Amino acid sequence: MNKPYFKKFLYLGALFFLFSCERDDICIETITESPDLVLLMLDKDNTEQTRTPAGFSIRALGTEKVLATQPSDSFALPLKIQENFIQLEFILNQGSENENIDTLQINYQRFDKFINAACGYRSNYILESQPILILNPGDNWIKGFTILKDTITENENRAHLGILH
Amino acid sequence: MKTVRIWVFFISLLGGLHWGLGQQEEVLPSIVADSLEVKEKIPLTLRFGADLSRIIRSQTSDDFNGFEAVADLRVGEKFFLALELGNVETTQQVEQVNFTTEGTYLKVGFDYNMYENWEGMDNHVTVGLRFASSSHSQFLNNYTVLDRTRFWPSSDIPISTGYATGERPDLNAQWFEVVVGFKVQLLKNIYMGLSLRLNRLLNDKLPENFDNIYIPGFNKKTEDNIFGAGFNYTLTYSLPFGSKK
Repeated sequence: MNKPYFKKFLYLGALFFLFSCERDDICIETITESPDLVLLMLDKDNTEQTRTPAGFSIRALGTEKVLATQPSDSFALPLKIQENFIQLEFILNQGSENENIDTLQINYQRFDKFINAACGYRSNYILESQPILILNPGDNWIKGFTILKDTITENENRAHLGILH
Repeated sequence: MKTVRIWVFFISLLGGLHWGLGQQEEVLPSIVADSLEVKEKIPLTLRFGADLSRIIRSQTSDDFNGFEAVADLRVGEKFFLALELGNVETTQQVEQVNFTTEGTYLKVGFDYNMYENWEGMDNHVTVGLRFASSSHSQFLNNYTVLDRTRFWPSSDIPISTGYATGERPDLNAQWFEVVVGFKVQLLKNIYMGLSLRLNRLLNDKLPENFDNIYIPGFNKKTEDNIFGAGFNYTLTYSLPFGSKK
């Protein structure tokens, strides 16, 4: 083994490092994303009892998307990460003469928790002590709210906020 | 597994090379059976220099600034005590996170020269081991939040202030390196070398709510977060300062 042969090995080693590529890191589907806020529609006279409002639907303000689940007495709401609130229209008797729309703002704080480099971070939330603001005070069909659980984390199946009507 | 397989290939290549050379030399007949074996003097040399690849990368890349000093001391005919001391500041986008790692590292260990030199030559094909340690910090510049449903608009815009962003100081890591290397004597006291390293992490102090995705000296954590790979391309000067029997 003489010097030129030796040098070829050095070049070979350098080339190997130049063209070596890394395995793509993929965020696998089983990793859960940020949790949704779960709302319960409760009877204002009996807050232990859920009650589905008549002709009820929800419209999220600031997005073209519609909720994946049709609102009934309970439903899940994705929360924004760009702002610390979401605004929603709660529509009673939709399409009929006595339609009543209440516009609500839900306030929360966000905490981001590291998953891994491929998935990034997952947001968890804590409801503010005053979590709901009614933006159109007056003739409201929503009479109040109750906090069921103020922290919103993944891998749980509990309602966070009760809406009294 | 890919990096591991590549390394096994490289190491086996060296083994084959060495075996081939040994065969060649055995063909030569031993002329004199010397009854009084004269022990040759081993020249003591201190060799020191720097990694050229890190210097070049610092010049050509805005996202990398690093330097590595290398040194080895001949303590036997084939044994060398080896040392690397380096400093790195690098900014990287790895998938969903963008971070800046800054820190220093020290690697100490030995090299064993497997190459049988002809009279008057001093080239090396070495295998070696290092114990290495880093002291560093991680600064999370920005990141994205996992959102597959994209219910709200702009949820894919990275978070670049507040929340989880910011510095994580006072971190450290320890690891082992298996090193294979070549050194060619260019001039009497000047050597050019290349070494390839497979790193196995022993322990690292994790940053709060983040990870040591890149560790100075260890490089990127891969393969179940415990393996890494590295290399250097060195130019060294050899300083003789005596000999020992």
